[in-house]
Amino acid sequence: MHPGTDLDPIVRFVLQLGLLIVCTRLGGFWLRRWLRLPGVLGELLSGMIIGPYALGRFDWPIVGSLFGLTDAGAVSPELHAIAIFASIILLFLSGLETDLSTFLRYSIAGTVVGIGGVVVSFVLGAGTAVWFGLAPSWLDPSALFLGTAATATSVGISARILSERRKMDSPEGVTILAAAVFDDVLGIVVLAIVVGMARAKVAGGTIAWHHIAAIAFKAFGFWIAATAIGLLLARRFSQMLKHFKTPGAIAALALGCALLLAGLSEMAGLAMIIGAYIMGLSLSRTDLVQVIRKEIEGLHNILVPVFFGSMGMMVNLSAIGNVWKIGTIYAVLAVISKAAGCALPALFCGFNRHGALRIGMGMLPRAEVALIVAGIGLTSGTIGQDIFGIVILMSLVTTLIGPMLLDGSLENTASGLRHPEDEATSQARHIVLSFPSPDMADFMRVRIVRAFRQEEFYVYRLAPDSPTYHIRKDAMFFTLECEGGTLSLHVASQYETLARLVIAEEMLTLRSMLHLAQADQNLDTLEHNLVADLFSDNPSPPPL
Amino acid sequence: MNLKKPLTVETISLDLQGTTKEEILSEMVDLLMASGHIRDREAVLRAITDREKRMSTGMQNGIAIPHGKTDSVECLIAALGIKRAGVDFGALDGQPSSIFVMTVSPDSRTGPHIQFLAEISRPLNDAAVRAKILAATRREEVLQLLVG
Repeated sequence: MHPGTDLDPIVRFVLQLGLLIVCTRLGGFWLRRWLRLPGVLGELLSGMIIGPYALGRFDWPIVGSLFGLTDAGAVSPELHAIAIFASIILLFLSGLETDLSTFLRYSIAGTVVGIGGVVVSFVLGAGTAVWFGLAPSWLDPSALFLGTAATATSVGISARILSERRKMDSPEGVTILAAAVFDDVLGIVVLAIVVGMARAKVAGGTIAWHHIAAIAFKAFGFWIAATAIGLLLARRFSQMLKHFKTPGAIAALALGCALLLAGLSEMAGLAMIIGAYIMGLSLSRTDLVQVIRKEIEGLHNILVPVFFGSMGMMVNLSAIGNVWKIGTIYAVLAVISKAAGCALPALFCGFNRHGALRIGMGMLPRAEVALIVAGIGLTSGTIGQDIFGIVILMSLVTTLIGPMLLDGSLENTASGLRHPEDEATSQARHIVLSFPSPDMADFMRVRIVRAFRQEEFYVYRLAPDSPTYHIRKDAMFFTLECEGGTLSLHVASQYETLARLVIAEEMLTLRSMLHLAQADQNLDTLEHNLVADLFSDNPSPPPL
Repeated sequence: MNLKKPLTVETISLDLQGTTKEEILSEMVDLLMASGHIRDREAVLRAITDREKRMSTGMQNGIAIPHGKTDSVECLIAALGIKRAGVDFGALDGQPSSIFVMTVSPDSRTGPHIQFLAEISRPLNDAAVRAKILAATRREEVLQLLVG
């Protein structure tokens, strides 16, 4: 069915984009606000509702069938381009926020848990396609795509729960975050191989093992070379970006380079998001992370729901109807595989069954990467509507029950470690200052923030209403929190001297100011003059 | 940051002559003059003395880190002085100070100041490094111990 009106194509695109932004944002907002579910579900469902397989197919007054099926598929090429751009931003930011130092610190537990989750998820995911007749062999694109879509955890959803429960710093929290870094990296490498194999298969029919080896070698080669070059040049690149001074210019240039690397990785036969992720990962160890993140966040907030919405629009509900049984089995296996694949190795990494369960539950949600994988498969023609629908169903189920199960597992406050005393050992130092009043603490907060900025640190408040600041320069990283009359600075032990000296200098300033204020009679006069005539019948201007 | 730039052999003294806090500060500012980046010697001394008046920068274990900010310097400059007999600097632990690291940076420009002090004094947390600095016979040895 073609759109039924003669709207100008650009006007049509603008209307489509506008409606998609409004509907996905409202859908995400309502689901988060009223049902306390992850917003991404609302965005996905909004796309399904307004898409060509539901309301979009009908002719509406004035605009006609705005989201009707076109020759290009369920999503118009223009909207698809925006969705691709959004997925590049998503993966660029995801790479940028990858905390490599946390990953390296907890790398053993994180690696073991990450590998366990990826391997078991891939095998059970691909196995579903083979065992239930969706794919003739393990090398069939359908099997490969179902396996890959099941691998990468969407850790942002679990991170929100961990943050609300103040468990981000717990051994389970950091292990989940480290494992998620690993399975993101591994999942993307697997995607690179799978895309290469699927393309070879679509082009040439059969595919031999030596072709797989060549594709894997090429994917790993590109991945390792680009990441190594990126990490090696990151410091120099960030120095170059700093010459542009303004955050807007720095972020724009970084995003521009991410798009260039995305294009190059597509030309190298890999998915575009791989280049974007590598660019983000390369910059993640520089002090520009917060600057770029802050500038691109607005773009991310507007466009990423468009990506999820357009993924929802591609869901053909009638196609799911044919495979809903297999879809349900795939979703259940995706839950079991990740939970078992992560929890069992955790038991061998110093965690008890409480800790292992929490880690398993924290790794369940699959959203962004799974949807990107499915989207790439569908738009390249390597998978059909049925497989795409199955991935969407799995994504809906895991993002729906993952947070609930993780939240439930955190109800039990028992230590997750086999030897709870290990929890106390940490390299982080906490400098806590108690002031006589919240006003004084707030004054010191402003002074400390200013002092770090004068030392050319990048200081960012996490959110306008948040009492937490991130302070960063090169490898140095501090967290400043101000609550009531208390200021606390979290710092790695090697930078404690710097933190203490900065605070001590500001404390001296405070003391000098208080001393001067007490000694200065003129302040009383100033204050008196300011208010003396406020309600007088004959106000006179205050003396200069 | 590159610690080698501000601290050079020309701004290191292995044998300060002063016997009082004031004399040591004045002698250290003279050392700083060797950097060639001071426009007004008296303004630099005043900035450091004013900071000392608010609270002594004498720390523990004989270390003192006098510092100040003034636009009478073109960039961050640093000096290191040794007074083996020690001088009463009003240190936190009440002990005489014997190793002095002085830093001055422009007041109206952003840049490392406390960060330099923290990084240059980090090796001084090690008693063995302090002993080697006090026993050093060549300025190059001191520079090597601090900036590698």
